[in-house]
Amino acid sequence: MRARAVFLAGMLLLSGMCGCQKTPSKRLYIYNWTYYIPDDVVSAFEREYHVAVVYDMYASNEEMFAKLKAGGGGYDIVFPSGDYVSIMIREGMLEPIDKSKLSNFGFLDTAVLQKIRFDPGCRYCVPYMMGAAGITVNKENVADYERSWSIFNRSDLRGRLTLLDDMREVLGAALRTLGYSVNTIDEGQLRQAKAIVMQWRKNIVKFDAEAFGKGFAAGEFWAVHCYAENVFLELDSTQASAADFFIPREGGCAYMDNMVILKGAKNKDVAYMFMNYILDPSVYARIVDYLKLPSINTATRAQRKVTPRYDLTDLANSELKEDLGEHLERYNEIWQEIRIGR
Amino acid sequence: MRRNAGPLYVAPLALWLCCFFIVPLGIIALYSFMSKGVYGGVVHRFSFGGYTALFNPLFLTVTLTTFLIAASSSVITVLLALPAAYFIARSARKNLWLFLVIIPFWTNFLIRIYAWIAILGNNGFLNSLLLATGITSHHLQFLYNKYAVLLVTVYTYLPFAILPLYSTIEKFDFSLLEAARDLGATVSQSIFRVLIPSIRGGITTAILFTFIPAFGSYAIPQILGGSDSLMLGNIIARELTVTRNWPLASSIAMVLTVVTTFGVVLFIRLNRFQTVTTAPEAFTAGGVDGDEQ
Amino acid sequence: MNSKRGFSSVVFTLVVLFFYLPLVILILFSFNHSKTMSWGGLSFRWYEELFFHSRTLWNSVFNSVIVALSSGLISTIVGTLGAVGISWYDFRGKRMLQVAGFLPLILPEIIIGVSLLIFFAGIKLKLSLFTVFLAHTTFNIPFVLLMVTARLEEFDFSIVEAAYDLGAREIDALLRIIIPLAFPGILSGFLIAVTLSLEDFVITFFVAGPGASTLPLHVYSMIRFGVSPVINALSVVIIAATAVLALSAGNVFKYIVRK
Repeated sequence: MRARAVFLAGMLLLSGMCGCQKTPSKRLYIYNWTYYIPDDVVSAFEREYHVAVVYDMYASNEEMFAKLKAGGGGYDIVFPSGDYVSIMIREGMLEPIDKSKLSNFGFLDTAVLQKIRFDPGCRYCVPYMMGAAGITVNKENVADYERSWSIFNRSDLRGRLTLLDDMREVLGAALRTLGYSVNTIDEGQLRQAKAIVMQWRKNIVKFDAEAFGKGFAAGEFWAVHCYAENVFLELDSTQASAADFFIPREGGCAYMDNMVILKGAKNKDVAYMFMNYILDPSVYARIVDYLKLPSINTATRAQRKVTPRYDLTDLANSELKEDLGEHLERYNEIWQEIRIGR
Repeated sequence: MRRNAGPLYVAPLALWLCCFFIVPLGIIALYSFMSKGVYGGVVHRFSFGGYTALFNPLFLTVTLTTFLIAASSSVITVLLALPAAYFIARSARKNLWLFLVIIPFWTNFLIRIYAWIAILGNNGFLNSLLLATGITSHHLQFLYNKYAVLLVTVYTYLPFAILPLYSTIEKFDFSLLEAARDLGATVSQSIFRVLIPSIRGGITTAILFTFIPAFGSYAIPQILGGSDSLMLGNIIARELTVTRNWPLASSIAMVLTVVTTFGVVLFIRLNRFQTVTTAPEAFTAGGVDGDEQ
Repeated sequence: MNSKRGFSSVVFTLVVLFFYLPLVILILFSFNHSKTMSWGGLSFRWYEELFFHSRTLWNSVFNSVIVALSSGLISTIVGTLGAVGISWYDFRGKRMLQVAGFLPLILPEIIIGVSLLIFFAGIKLKLSLFTVFLAHTTFNIPFVLLMVTARLEEFDFSIVEAAYDLGAREIDALLRIIIPLAFPGILSGFLIAVTLSLEDFVITFFVAGPGASTLPLHVYSMIRFGVSPVINALSVVIIAATAVLALSAGNVFKYIVRK
């Protein structure tokens, strides 16, 4: 008897959780980076516009692109970074953006828009966020340090450092250290950059794009090459006050993530409503406050309540990544040599 | 003589594999002979590019590392699984133990890996224990090398070795062991000449279930490995996503498929041949080779 | 015999400890107030978040359970029937089928994922939870097939032959003799299939349609941003639920048998 009661209770719990969600008539399919829009912003949009949002997440541009390229899809809005915007334009995967449907587009900072070379004039994309990878240092364990990539040369920190497992980011850092462009295709410059990374490699534990946040929080790593939000989401308040994030003074790769509409999207009208909603200064303020990233929305800057971890001015020496086309192959060869260690 | 029901039994299997496996495999085979599109996918033009790109000494290094990690983890796993499966098979509460073995693996894989990081990390439980008990005076680096990859690979695939071994040992007639002992065999003789030969199907399966997935391993080296433990699975994933060289990824997969197929077929043949020649006929009750018509 | 039994029970105990060690850590962390790996005091905040603020997470859990059970079931049926045919009968193309039967094991997951996606897109099959089920069944079949084959291989066909001589129909022989004989293999195969399905990320990533995220998809998408301790709490709940279900299913089974 008791067993049956337990079983029944279990079934009830199951059915209770699956059932009863009223579905509004309008739908929107979004494919986005994890945690890139706070949940409450999405649900506020759903309530306000009576739309059901289906929201799936990915962890890298590459994964997202491979899936769409192989024929996966069914999404309306995707959030690719700049280099992938130009690739997707070239591959004919995007719908042109009709700016007349975006009354809030004018709030975007024109100084930022002018830096866009992956889609000049934003014919296919709506910029969403701009930022860059940097270094987070544990101040308790590392007393003095320069705000520079040269921290990876310090053998006294050997075994306590990680670099991102991302060839563009790491080679970009080395290229900026040498004063070259992060988008160079010059063989000599790339070889010099490789030599620098090989020096860094001696001091790092590993190239890591997955566990550095956890490792930093556990006190395992003392200085990590990272995106700030990934590390700080892992820290509690005391730890966060002992951690310092900076963009190295040499600069590095910057990124700009954008909203795009996929070709053949079924819910374009709703997609425009959503993008315009995101561009609304007060809504955008909630997003940048949550992520603690700089705002590219001019009206938001006065409204936001949280100071970002860095400002757009910190990115003065950084450069937006561009698609390298077939020259990416050369980067890849160099990166493989670095990874295997020769 | 009865009607041969064989085709009837295998029809669903054959149909399923044709639809959802042979066709995709064909796609990969085709792709491996095409030219690479700059932005992923393939250009429909015949090319050996995917295969010539394989002649890269870097691939050889990585293949060797991968093979060593996969082979050693597979051996360790099976050695641990044999006595564990034996215990379950001889116990009165078989199903309870089976569930006990499998339930930890119904939690999320990534979470278990993070738990291992918490155990093995510099400030982790193991290091704290070692420091507190005074066994070591400073932190030991357990993580981010091939040994960490090996440990967690064994952890991940151990149940997959225990289950096939259990299901064959369970059937074994243990009175044969006593019979062997009565005939003067030592304990180890009776185990190695009677028990092991008659559960060789299970051992083969256990090795296949651990070696092959370990060989294609991706997430474990990615998260727990260091700079010495890049594996083939990581390279294939990179070629498909980051560098978007689909023909190369396809050709690696094709070579992997062909080589492993030969390896496995050879392995099964040798294995069968050896056991047939060493297993004493009297002890195996003549039923072992029922499938070899 | 006793020494062997003693040795095996020692190894088994060690293996179980090895299996449950990470689980203990996980349970501990699920009650940790701090979100880091250091202890910040006892707290139920992750459970609170799990039960009251994690709608999409639960959605993915149910997707995972549905796919794991359905693909586990279908692959067990297809694989078991195939194993019976391969072990006990001779027919044209048997060797080929045997080889094709274990090949999905060899192909790297990401390759299976992409090729299935290209295939589904080619036949205009819309991505959904159903395509995830198809993919999972495909990679589960070899495991069940090999598992049951290994079990059947050790049997003497004469048992079944005898049943036929006594006038048993094919279906009787299958249900009353073959399946009970092979049951430990079938159960093990089913357990492996369910486990693999619950774990798979790479293949699922490619073949899942919008809104058809499974639990691993949900968790892996957090990987760069730190996996939330809510997942620890979820794991504890899942383990407790499966343990309760397994026990109560056992009891129900016993109850039926006694009757």
